[in-house]
Amino acid sequence: MNCMQQNPATRRYLIRFVSTIAAYAVALLFAEWCIHRLHPTGALLYGLATLPAVPIIGVIVVVGLYLAEEKDEFQRNLLIQSMLWGLGAILSLTSVWGFLQLYAHVHPFQPFMAFPLFWCFQGIATAALRWRYR
Amino acid sequence: MKNRLRVLRAERGWSQADLADRLEVSRQSVNAIETGKYDPSLPLAFRIARLFESSIEAIFTDAD
Repeated sequence: MNCMQQNPATRRYLIRFVSTIAAYAVALLFAEWCIHRLHPTGALLYGLATLPAVPIIGVIVVVGLYLAEEKDEFQRNLLIQSMLWGLGAILSLTSVWGFLQLYAHVHPFQPFMAFPLFWCFQGIATAALRWRYR
Repeated sequence: MKNRLRVLRAERGWSQADLADRLEVSRQSVNAIETGKYDPSLPLAFRIARLFESSIEAIFTDAD
């Protein structure tokens, strides 16, 4: 969405997105440091291990807010289309990888990689759609 | 869906950006509608019709 014109909804989206990504970086570094230095166990370990996932879930909320606030229906449509392409690509990739893992014993797919990969595919789809509607 | 948006806009001497400002949408949206790559929703079609003081049927025509 970085090519979008700066309407209020886009501005709010970008501020929220950057803030959430910054929170993710802080949470990741904090969790890494605590787990490797303090060697926590039990509930504290579980809490620290899931901490970086919280801002990741926040990104989904940020996107949901953008879709609710964006008044330009074409831009909303563009984001929804690109997310559907991203979703289709990541579901296809994880399905293929899952069977390769099961039968060909390839390196296991790390589930947390699904999120960044989804956004990579979504980004490619956004670029393609913007080119189509240029 | 075909439309006369480009003609109506040209008659008033508006750029795509001018029309986008008046409709409170992005210039890309205007371009997509003009070129027939995107069909606007009914509320947006009404806004366009009101802006050009015309009816939806006079601006948009079914391609079939």
